[in-house]
Amino acid sequence: MNENFKISPSEINKIKVLNQKDKNFRLESLKLFNQQGFPTRNHEDWKFSDINQIFSKNFKNLESFKNEIKPKSINFIKEFDHNHILMVNGKLENSEFKFEDKNKIKIKSYNDSNFSLNNVENSLINLNNALSNNGLFLEVADNYKFEKAIIIYNVFTDDLKDNLLNNKNKIILGKNSELHIVEYNINQSKNKFIYNTTENVILNENASLKTINLQANQNEGFFYKFSKGKMKSNSNFSSFIFSSGPKFNKIDAEFDLEGENCDCNIKSALFINRDKHQEIKTKINHLVPNCKSYQKIKSVVDAEGKGVYQGKIYVKDIAQKTNAYQLSKALLLSENSEFNSKPELEIYADDVKCSHGSTSGNVDENSIHYLMTRGLSKKQAIQLLVNGFLNEIIGDIKSNSVRKFIENKIEIQIHGY
Amino acid sequence: MLVIKNLKASINNREILKGLNLKINPGEVHAIMGPNGSGKSTLANVLSGKNGYKISGEVKYLGESLNDIPVEERAQKGIFLAFQYPLEIPGVNTNNFLKTSLNTIKKAKGEKEIDTIAFLELVKEKAKELGIDEKILSRQLNVGFSGGEKKKNEILQMKILDPNLIILDETDSGLDIDALKIISDGVNSSRSEKKSFLVITHYQRLLEYIKPDHVHVLSDGKIIKSGTSELALELEKKGYKKLN
Repeated sequence: MNENFKISPSEINKIKVLNQKDKNFRLESLKLFNQQGFPTRNHEDWKFSDINQIFSKNFKNLESFKNEIKPKSINFIKEFDHNHILMVNGKLENSEFKFEDKNKIKIKSYNDSNFSLNNVENSLINLNNALSNNGLFLEVADNYKFEKAIIIYNVFTDDLKDNLLNNKNKIILGKNSELHIVEYNINQSKNKFIYNTTENVILNENASLKTINLQANQNEGFFYKFSKGKMKSNSNFSSFIFSSGPKFNKIDAEFDLEGENCDCNIKSALFINRDKHQEIKTKINHLVPNCKSYQKIKSVVDAEGKGVYQGKIYVKDIAQKTNAYQLSKALLLSENSEFNSKPELEIYADDVKCSHGSTSGNVDENSIHYLMTRGLSKKQAIQLLVNGFLNEIIGDIKSNSVRKFIENKIEIQIHGY
Repeated sequence: MLVIKNLKASINNREILKGLNLKINPGEVHAIMGPNGSGKSTLANVLSGKNGYKISGEVKYLGESLNDIPVEERAQKGIFLAFQYPLEIPGVNTNNFLKTSLNTIKKAKGEKEIDTIAFLELVKEKAKELGIDEKILSRQLNVGFSGGEKKKNEILQMKILDPNLIILDETDSGLDIDALKIISDGVNSSRSEKKSFLVITHYQRLLEYIKPDHVHVLSDGKIIKSGTSELALELEKKGYKKLN
C-alpha cells in the first residue's frame, strides 16, 4: 500500500445505488480517492498521523464489503433509562424510543452518498462518498425535547478482519428541540479493520444537542470519524469524547457557527496506552458575531502510545464579540510516550476574546511521593493522579448516572494500564 | 520506636545531614528545632523514604532497618509524615483518597477493609474534633483549601490512619492562633504510650501547645544540643546563633 492504494470502480457495482446521479457521484469520488491515496504526513491535517503509513503497516489487503451477521450478545446498559439505537457494523439494525413521542422522530437507514461536502482534499471523505452504503439518519421535529437520552450501540462483529467499512450519519435537530446522544462503541472483533464514518449534524435555531462518544474497550479497530456540523442561531452543541482502547482513533470535527449566539463545546478525555494512536482534530468556524466556542482536551499517554491534538479556531472578519477558547493538556507516563499538539487561531475580526494553550508533562514526582506516604503504591498513586487528571472532563457531565457509568469505564481502562 | 545512628544524607552531591543521632522511645514527644537550612525538612523527607537522597548510617524503626524499605511500606508500617506544604491533587476527591489510603494500610496490616458507611462515620467524627467543615472533604484533595485547612487535613489523615510514629514537619507554619490550638489539641488527644511524635519546628510557639519530652537543636546537619522543653525557651530568648 506504499504506492497509492487503489479500489476498482467495479466495487461500486456491489452497492445498491439510488440512481445514475448517485452512481456518477460515487465513481467521481472514487476516482479522486484513487488519485490521492490515503493521506500521508505531507498533508498538514495528517502531519502527526500518517494514516497511509499506519494502514500499510497493518493491512496487506482490504475488503470493502462484508456479509451481514448478527453480533454476539451485547451488554446493554442497565444503569439508567434510555432509548436505544442498535447499529451493527454501521448498519441500522433496530431502534426503540419507549420514552418518547414517536411522531416527533424520524429514523431510517442512511445510504445517500451525496453529502455535498466540498472537502475534496480529504481523501477519506472521497472514499466514504464513493463506498458508503450504510448509516443512520435521525431527525427530531421542531419543539420536541427528548425525555431520555438515546444510546447508540455501535457494535462491531467478531468476524471483522481486514475490512474497510464506510458509513454516513446525518442528524438534524429541528428548531427548539433537545437531544442527548451517547454513542457507545462495542467492538467484538479481535482483528484489525477500518471504520470510516462521515457525519453531518444540523442544529436549527435554538436546538440543543449533547453527545457523548465512548470508546472503552481494548481493540484492534482503526476508526476515523469526520463530523461536519452546522449551527443556526442560539443553538447549543456540547460534545464529550472519551476514548481509550482502539488501536487507532481520529475524531475530526468541523463546526460552522452560522447563526448568532451559538455555543459550541468540545471536551475530551483520552487515555492512550500500549501502542495506540489517537487524535482529536477540530476546526471551529466563527462566521457570525456573538458566538462562543470552548474546547478542552485532556490526554494521558502511556507506554508507546501516541496522542495528537490539532485544533483550529477560525474567526471571520464580521464575527465580532466572538469568545473562543481551546486548551490541551497532556500527561506522559512513559519515556516512550508521545503527544503532539497544534493549537491554532486564525482571526480576522478585531473585537474578539480568543485564547489557547497547550501543555504536556510528566506526572509530578512530589504528588506521587505525597500519596505514597499515605500507603499507596507508586502504581496506585499514578492511577489516582491520572484519574484525577481526566476527572476534570468527566466531572462536567451533568447527569449523575451517565457520569458514573463513564467514570467506571474509564477507571477500568486506567487500572488495566 | 525509632533509632537513628550516624545518619548522613546528601542530594545533588551536597551533604545535608552530617551524622545525626536520635533515639525516640514509645510514647515520647521529641521536638527538633533549628534555623533555616539546618536539615530539618531533609530529615522528615528521609524518614518518609523520599527518593533522590544518597544515604548512609542506620535508621531503625521498631527494631527493623528502614534503609531499603520503600515509601509506601513505611506508611503501611505506621510511619506518618504531616507535610509542611501538603500537595494539591486536582481531580481526586478527598474522601475517596482517604478511604483508599486507609484501606491500603489496613490491607497491608492484614486487617479487614472498612466499608463506605463505616468510613464516612469515622471521618465525620474525626473531622468534627478538628473543626473541619465536612464539605471540604467532598472537594478535590487540598485544592483551594486555605493554609489552615490543609494543615488540619494532614492531622485528620493522621487521626484516621492511626500511625505509630508521627513526624510533624513545620505543622505550625502559616497558622493563626485558633488553628494552631485546634491542631495541637488534635495532636495532644492522639498522644498515647504506643505513639511517638517527632515535631519539627522553627519556633518555640508550637511547643507551648504540644509539650515535648525532649528538645533537640539541629544545626548544619547534626544535633548539637539536647535537653528538655527548657531548651526551647532558652532558644527563643537567645536565638540559634548563641548556641554555635
